[in-house]
Amino acid sequence: MSSPILEIKDLHAKVEDDDKEILKGVNLTLNGGEVHAIMGRNGSGKSTLSYILAGKDGYEVTGGQVLFKGEDLLEMEPDERAVAGLFLAFQYPTEIPGVATMTFLKTALNAQRKARGENELSTPDFMKAVREAAGNLDISSDMLKRALNVGFSGGEKKRAEILQMALLEPTLCVLDETDSGLDIDALKTVSDGVNSLRSPDRAMLVITHYQRLLNHIVPDYVHVFADGRIVESGDRELALELEQKGYAAFDGKAA
Amino acid sequence: MQDAIKLSPAEQTLLGHLRDAGDDVAAQRFEQSGLPNRRVEEYHYSDLKMLLRAVPEARAALVEQPGTTVAFDGVARITIANGALVAPSGLPEGLTVTIEKAGPTTGSDPMAQINAALAGEAVRIAVAPGADVTLHIDRRTEGEAALSADQVAIEVGKGAKAFVVETFGGSDAAHMVNAATSLTVADEANATHVQIDRQALAVTQFVNNRYELGANANLRTLTVNTGAGFNRVNVFGHFGGGDTHADFGGLNLLEGKQHADITLDVTHAVPDTTSSELFKSVCRGDAKGIFQGKINVAKDAQKSDAKMMSQGLLLSEGAEIHTKPELEIFADDVICGHGATCGELDDSALFYLMSRGIPRVEAEAMLIRAFLDELFDPLDNEPVTEYLETIVGDWLAAAAASEGK
Ligand SMILES: Nc1ncnc2c1ncn2[C@@H]1O[C@H](COP(=O)(O)OP(=O)(O)OP(=O)(O)O)[C@@H](O)[C@H]1O
Ligand SMILES: [Mg+2]
Repeated sequence: MSSPILEIKDLHAKVEDDDKEILKGVNLTLNGGEVHAIMGRNGSGKSTLSYILAGKDGYEVTGGQVLFKGEDLLEMEPDERAVAGLFLAFQYPTEIPGVATMTFLKTALNAQRKARGENELSTPDFMKAVREAAGNLDISSDMLKRALNVGFSGGEKKRAEILQMALLEPTLCVLDETDSGLDIDALKTVSDGVNSLRSPDRAMLVITHYQRLLNHIVPDYVHVFADGRIVESGDRELALELEQKGYAAFDGKAA
Repeated sequence: MQDAIKLSPAEQTLLGHLRDAGDDVAAQRFEQSGLPNRRVEEYHYSDLKMLLRAVPEARAALVEQPGTTVAFDGVARITIANGALVAPSGLPEGLTVTIEKAGPTTGSDPMAQINAALAGEAVRIAVAPGADVTLHIDRRTEGEAALSADQVAIEVGKGAKAFVVETFGGSDAAHMVNAATSLTVADEANATHVQIDRQALAVTQFVNNRYELGANANLRTLTVNTGAGFNRVNVFGHFGGGDTHADFGGLNLLEGKQHADITLDVTHAVPDTTSSELFKSVCRGDAKGIFQGKINVAKDAQKSDAKMMSQGLLLSEGAEIHTKPELEIFADDVICGHGATCGELDDSALFYLMSRGIPRVEAEAMLIRAFLDELFDPLDNEPVTEYLETIVGDWLAAAAASEGK
């Protein structure tokens, strides 16, 4: 068997200028083709985990290890992680005034291709790829003409994240609450977009509060995250059980 | 009459030039006050007495064949080299260029007064009423280190449209340049004035801009300081007719030990005029970028509307940005506001771009370009915008190279 796409081993982390530990021993392995869902209370550390995977400044890993396709992920710069195939769909995508969405998409795509020693995409090929991906996600050409994420509605931002993901074709997709802010139709569209990316050599980590998303993106595993670590793992049924019983049944805290 | 103060060697040299120019009044005034120091409010961040260590002994002499700073595609160009107009050819219709005796300065700025005393002649550019012209004025200081002073007076006739881009450039020597530009925008006229400093690092430069606006007129300005080691740009704006709007803009794009100061003084003298002031500084190394902006609203200038904004981007520990906004309002029915921001590149934006595979240097460059876009985009003149973007691109590349990345 080939090595897993992602291995998180006893990961401990804190905020750089604060002694409070946020991640308290996360263990998780994702193999190719697998979709894992993480559910957990507000503030339990889910976004922190996703930021540490993507390489955001301001956090300090105090213990443990993260291997991405066998390589030490934590040693890499954020752009190197992206080039290696990691993609984080942000819970709150950043608005960047003055940077045109199309320019950004092209720069990102070509930066990754260049770093991998591939040819840059020609403008017509690039336009074609964007148009196709945008069409699948119901993203208007008007939106693509605006500055990156600026003035996008909550749902539009989430769709734009999935558009980027579709274009960049990562091996590991981390989706941080991509479903929140989406209306019912958009949830379906976005889920279809995500599902079309499912493949044997790609893994997905889906962070969500709502079991409804998991009706669309059916996970192979569900993990309950509480106070900085995974306290329970199971299959799809665990999400349903969680919805009935609440978090208290798993982390012992009052609801 | 007060006693003469003790002049520094640089001031002595400058005094000599004023005497040689035959302007006894200016010489006498200078002998008594010398260069402005930090106690002079308008020069608080640019203490010339301290900063100006040397003034070239030589006056810029006539040159036969001056160089070209840049050629804008399809744009007519006139060259002023070492203070003298090079006989222009191929001027577009509606444009007249003549030489006249340099005008006396209005106002009390000491460097503008020195310009008036030293500049022998002024190049007068008249845009005929109703005409539509685009013009490049290539102002050059050539040869060995010299003191150069010149004047340009542009008159945009009634109902005319003018786009004027000025570049400052020349040889690499340690010149001291004192330039003045006056732009008169007649009723119903529309003018854009872009100034780009492409001087060598060794150059010390003073630029005095004066804008006089008629009724129903429109003006947009952008002054870019990026070449000279020391730059001081005065921007005086005066609204003399109603229903007129002006956008004043400026950029200090600096590195190393560069020092650039834009000091603006805009007066809404009549009712129903509006203005915006947008000034940005991007500094790395130990550079110092300064913007002082003062908006005056006269007693009768009701319904004046002015929005002043100053934004700074600090790219290194040693860089400094100073901003001083000031409002002096004597009318009661006005809307005037000012704001200032100063900081480093936005971490979360940088992370977002990098998380998509864009290397740090490129991501930073994207954000810096985005920061400047607001100044360049409204110019609506492709060759000039492209040129400005090339300047920024070169600046970013030099920054990346010197950081060894
Ligand atoms: N930069 C930071 N500085 C201080 N505290 C932080 C920082 N980042 C995260 N935290 C804290 O760490 C904890 C975990 O936050 P995180 O955003 O990872 O939670 P989450 O599980 O994603 O919550 P939600 O479901 O609300 O999105 C919270 O208590 C949060 O306040
Ligand atoms: Mg979160």
